Amino acid sequence: MRKIAVVYSGNAPHKITFNTPKYKKYISELIYLPNLSEADLSSFDVLYVPSQLNEGMLLKNAEKIHQFAEDGGIVCAFGPQPWEWLPNQKWEDRETNFWWWLEKDADSGIRLTNSEHDLFKNYLTLADATWHQHGVFWPPAGCTTLIATTDGGSVLYIDKISTKGTWIITTLDPDYHFGSYFMPATERFLDGFFPWLVEGEI
Amino acid sequence: MKDILFIDPGHAFGIENRKSSFILNNFHIIDMYDFETTDLSPFKAIVVHDFVDQIHMYNHRHLIEQFLNDGKIVIWGGHLEFEWLTGCPIFTPKNIQTFSDYNISIVQENPIFEGVNPDEMTFNKGVAGFFARGSHTPVPVGAEILLTLPGDATITYIDRQTTRGTILAHAGRDLFAQRMQNKSTDLISEQLLQWVHDEAKQLKERMNNA
Repeated sequence: MRKIAVVYSGNAPHKITFNTPKYKKYISELIYLPNLSEADLSSFDVLYVPSQLNEGMLLKNAEKIHQFAEDGGIVCAFGPQPWEWLPNQKWEDRETNFWWWLEKDADSGIRLTNSEHDLFKNYLTLADATWHQHGVFWPPAGCTTLIATTDGGSVLYIDKISTKGTWIITTLDPDYHFGSYFMPATERFLDGFFPWLVEGEI
Repeated sequence: MKDILFIDPGHAFGIENRKSSFILNNFHIIDMYDFETTDLSPFKAIVVHDFVDQIHMYNHRHLIEQFLNDGKIVIWGGHLEFEWLTGCPIFTPKNIQTFSDYNISIVQENPIFEGVNPDEMTFNKGVAGFFARGSHTPVPVGAEILLTLPGDATITYIDRQTTRGTILAHAGRDLFAQRMQNKSTDLISEQLLQWVHDEAKQLKERMNNA
């Protein structure tokens, strides 16, 4: 069982999401973002970095998060990333496709690119990861993309090459939507993602 | 310096706000973690954005209360999860069974929502639920209720009783973001801005006469 620490922003959606009992049971500690720089991360296996964190606080702690990965830790980063702090980050901001499902022959524009991966073989379906995208990543060669847009942009990828640890990076932001009581698929995503993070093959 | 303070959560979704001429022309923006070191005396109102760190606001709630008791205005648009705003109850999500549970009603005329079609608050491109999904209920005694969801669930209220100032609490996203959607809800941001200036004038007169 991996020990998960969550970086806790104190905003309303995160208060709800990470204190919801069915998710909280997987979380060993909520680390309040303003306290992150002083926190001892050595006892954790996973650091969950949710979406919509304060720019200044996030960048102030970027080096610490990288060090956690260099020490062999697993970092999960969620949501759009307009500031460069991820390893070899190439983020492309795109207009959010809020309304794809209202169009004729509705297509979310995303595909599973590695359906044999444990996350999608045993924990999630593509439908559980389908609501909208705020942009895409263009990961470095050697990373494993699990969800991509039809033009090849990465929506969820795993980077085991940039550091000694593992980065699970996604444009998706279920931590925000679940806690703001919107987008039912985000609940299904978290229902599958947390158990995988604790016990799955990463 | 602008005389309305906008507390910016510094989050990714806020980037456009930080470049918006509407915001830059009307608000003095600070990062939320600079709140406690900012001199609040030049400002007539504070706008607190829905993505704000509410633990931080709770830790500095005395500054909010003092500001209000100086006869000034606080505008909160978001789901209150920590009790940092005097008199405002914790957010209660609406139990949603059908999309009509998201129907918004204007229960009392107010210049902020004048000319705004309630259906255009309820629906965005035919989809309900963007505007509000719950309430701050029960409202403080004497508060003026402006918008509700079905079942008298208060979305938006004005409270002039709890402090010597005025609180506008809205259980939804930042009301100043209601602009540039080519529908009647675009009126809200400009009308709310005018309301702040009018309310500040009245508060000043009231404080001078006290």
